Amino acid sequence: MITINTEPKRYEGVENRVQMMALALALLFTIPCLRLWHLQMVKQRDYQHTADAQRISDTTLESDRGVIYGRNDVILADNRASVNIVFTPGECPEVRREEVGIRLARLLGLEAHSVLEKVKNSKRNPFMQIVIKSDVSKTELYRIEENGLDLPGVAPIVRPQRRYLYRETGGQLLGYLGEISRKQLNDSHWLDQGYHQGDVIGLGGLEAQYEQQLQGQDGFLLLTRYASGRPQLRTDRAGMPVEAKRDSAGNVTSIEGEGREPRAGDPLHLTLDIGLQAKCESLLMGQVGAIVVLNADTGAVLAMASVPSYDPSVFVSHDPTGERKRLLEAKKPKPMLNRAYREQYPPGSVFKVMLAAAALEEGVIDTATSHYCGGGFKINGRGRTWHCWRRGGHGRVAVKDALTYSCDVFFYNVGLALGVDKIQEWAHRMGMGVLSGIDLPREITGLIPGQEWKKALFKDKPVWDQNWRLGDTVNLSIGQGSAATTPLQNAIMMACIVNGGYRITPYMNRDGSHKRSEKLISDTTIAVISDAMRRCVEKAPPDYPSGTGWRAGVPGIAILGKTGSAQVMSLSHHEKYETEEDIPYKMRDHAWFVAGVVEQEQNIAICILVEHGHHGSTAASVLAKPLIEYFYRDQLRSDVQVAQAGKGTL
Amino acid sequence: MSYSAHDYQAEDAIMRAINIRNLARIDWLLPIFVISLAVIGWVTMYSASAHATDVYYQKQILFFIAGSVVAAGIICVDYRSIVALAPLMYIVAILLLLAVLKFGVEINGSQRWLNLGLFRIQPSELTKMVMVYFLAWYLHTLGTRIRKLRWFVLAFILTGVPMLLILKEPDLGTAACLGPLVIVMLFVSGCRLWHIGLVVLVGLSIVPFAWYQIKDMDPSPSPRIQEEQKAAFNETKKPWDLQWHQKMRIYTFVHPDFAPRVSNWQAYQSFITVGSGGLSGKGFQQGTQTKLNYLPEHRTDFIFSHYAEERGFIGCVVVIGLFLAFLLRGLMYARDCPDMMGTLLAAGVVTVLGFHIFFNISITIGLMPITGMPLPFLSYGGTFYMTTMACVGILLNVPMRRRMFLEEGMFGG
Repeated sequence: MITINTEPKRYEGVENRVQMMALALALLFTIPCLRLWHLQMVKQRDYQHTADAQRISDTTLESDRGVIYGRNDVILADNRASVNIVFTPGECPEVRREEVGIRLARLLGLEAHSVLEKVKNSKRNPFMQIVIKSDVSKTELYRIEENGLDLPGVAPIVRPQRRYLYRETGGQLLGYLGEISRKQLNDSHWLDQGYHQGDVIGLGGLEAQYEQQLQGQDGFLLLTRYASGRPQLRTDRAGMPVEAKRDSAGNVTSIEGEGREPRAGDPLHLTLDIGLQAKCESLLMGQVGAIVVLNADTGAVLAMASVPSYDPSVFVSHDPTGERKRLLEAKKPKPMLNRAYREQYPPGSVFKVMLAAAALEEGVIDTATSHYCGGGFKINGRGRTWHCWRRGGHGRVAVKDALTYSCDVFFYNVGLALGVDKIQEWAHRMGMGVLSGIDLPREITGLIPGQEWKKALFKDKPVWDQNWRLGDTVNLSIGQGSAATTPLQNAIMMACIVNGGYRITPYMNRDGSHKRSEKLISDTTIAVISDAMRRCVEKAPPDYPSGTGWRAGVPGIAILGKTGSAQVMSLSHHEKYETEEDIPYKMRDHAWFVAGVVEQEQNIAICILVEHGHHGSTAASVLAKPLIEYFYRDQLRSDVQVAQAGKGTL
Repeated sequence: MSYSAHDYQAEDAIMRAINIRNLARIDWLLPIFVISLAVIGWVTMYSASAHATDVYYQKQILFFIAGSVVAAGIICVDYRSIVALAPLMYIVAILLLLAVLKFGVEINGSQRWLNLGLFRIQPSELTKMVMVYFLAWYLHTLGTRIRKLRWFVLAFILTGVPMLLILKEPDLGTAACLGPLVIVMLFVSGCRLWHIGLVVLVGLSIVPFAWYQIKDMDPSPSPRIQEEQKAAFNETKKPWDLQWHQKMRIYTFVHPDFAPRVSNWQAYQSFITVGSGGLSGKGFQQGTQTKLNYLPEHRTDFIFSHYAEERGFIGCVVVIGLFLAFLLRGLMYARDCPDMMGTLLAAGVVTVLGFHIFFNISITIGLMPITGMPLPFLSYGGTFYMTTMACVGILLNVPMRRRMFLEEGMFGG
């Protein structure tokens, strides 16, 4: 039975206690209100920012790099679509991941454990795409697509990839790409332009020189992500998730707010004649050397070969064969080194062309001035003997013959008469020993020695060692001693003669600004030198000695030429060996040949260098003939060939 | 003017105790608050559902209806009849708690549920209600004798038994709820104030205890190393030490900036969620923090954060105001009830609900270390909704009887 035991009476003051309780409750509840005020009103901005930052991630949309065109709008470098196979762990059931990894490895011909390792190591965000294999072949792609149902979370992703259509041809000029380095990222120059880690930039050649022009602007996409990292998917009216879109980097996208479309890089039009370039490189094949071909009037670089060279494609994608490492670590001859403008050699007899022009212009000599060459030369008839390359001597020669037959003794005299300061001044004026100003990165200066230079070099030595000596001038007169120029500089000097006395600035970018100096050399001097150089190349009548460059002669084309053999070792050293073949490779002379083609619609200046090629006449000048024939005769025919050859490499 | 059961026949008593017509005597202000809060709860739950296929808010409506039936049932019965059964309920509750420790189902590392085949019950949740009744019975029976220290202390011992059993599960939130409950009910029952003061002082010793628990802690932000630290701690753990995760909660409460992404994710995300709401909130279903699952438990213990994100400061003040109005209305019943038993019941119920409301909100905004604590009417969950509605039933029962007493002429005008 229920007993109702109720005592309705309450003690005095119970109402007060309840009211006190009510008051306490009310006061207690103001505390969260104050706190909410602080969180939501005072610090709202901070928390909103944090909320947005963790929710929205921007995904980069890669831009295409600008296309590089050669002369006649031949495409030299463009972008192709490369396919990466990626795996997104978050889109694959956890129990199947290992199985999928193993299957994937089998299909792609990879080691199973390396694939599983990759998957395991990316625990951070399961929706991060792991590149399993980049730039897969079509066969591999089809294999993946055929097995698509058994490979949840695996997807092929298309990305733009740089393509060099002519591979090794012109490779050094185009340069190569690579990921931006940590050091560069610390540099404000790169940071200010919005580069960030992982960006691919030009690291050499024209890719580096025109980085700004070629580099497009990456776009971005703002994505909302779940806390798990999964991008928020859009849903249709029934609330079902719509097939996820993928951006160019392959991430699943759902768009939040405004993004930015990627902007492709601007195209770069070169003056480079890829057919001629290929010809030059093939001529040098098997040797070490460089060939520069300039348009003598404008300075446009038509070809600039340097052998050995490299294929920039090696730097584009992964490097399974270790080719990239081999290239970068190669000892001499370095394939990464562009000998045409990044390496210097003593100019040797090529220097005489400049010297003759300078002496004639300065009035030190005229066409009648002659010196006797008996095979040797002493300053003021005393002391050390400087030999002429022709031990028997040239007899009495004037400037024309001296150039044609490359008489050393004549130029010893001319050099002394002109003086070192004038030699230096004229050499610089005609582009030797100074930066040419070509639009390629890291050009070197070369060196034409002078009094100042020697003082600075020997500043720790006694005064008598610092002084310039007449013997130094004698050495310099034939481009020996400390003198060093690049093939490009010699080509510029040659262009001066071909174009009638103007110093040109070589360029590769067709659309850049082109400079040409005032007229440096008078027409009469040009005529004298041209005549001598033309005879140098012409085959002389019987009983007459031919010029040193006769092997370069092409009937029907007016060619100016001058050979050079730059000594690496002294002549007397050479005499220790019975035949030339006995001389060790390292000690052989560098072979030079500078040439110009005149009286054509397009006049060109050529400089050929063969490292340790013995003689300019035998090693270098022989290359000029097929080159000139190609440029003026075979061009049309071979253009077609090159185009076909280019297609073959795709 | 005394009123005693002997004046009535037993049948009459039952007729009066259980009478459906009592429903007509309800005070309507409290139900309005309840319905307002329930509607806010549904809307919030609807918004907190990620997909249209989620049924959380429908289920929440069902819980409300079921809870209303429970409440109606309680209203129909004279609370005095239920209080009379309190000692029995107390014993059953203790037995159930013991049963839980012995046969309970372990979920998330704590043993709180008893599987009864058809459904599971949570005895600790029941204990809250039982303790309200039991303490009301105890204090009412004692009357003014409560001013004696031994009866005062006995109240604590009687509360302490289930409290320790619940702590053992462990269910810290529920156990903690019993503390304020007994203190408030003793206070209302007219005990000596210095007794209460003493108890509060003892209660405050929890602060140095908490400090002692974390003073030597130097957790690593690396999850792997922290796992090792946890293993090392478990080996040398002393009986009075808290669990590692409890210690971490206190630690991260004291150091809110410590490794939020590793150890403090819940609190860190709750700050962001509440804070980013601003003055007027992000709007209905616009809460990114919850829509994108950045805030865990956003339908249960952290529903207030979700609400705060979408409704902002204004919405928070409105809902806190509604809760306060609800509780104050309950206290008005306590104040105006001529019957000590009713006063105690109402005060006890207000304490239980007020405790949950205050602590839940405080936890979501970082005023308290994290403890599992649902928010009445808003948090998802059937058992707690039943408890809440039962509380509402008890509260409504109190003033109704007062009118009945008046009609019965018991107080003689």
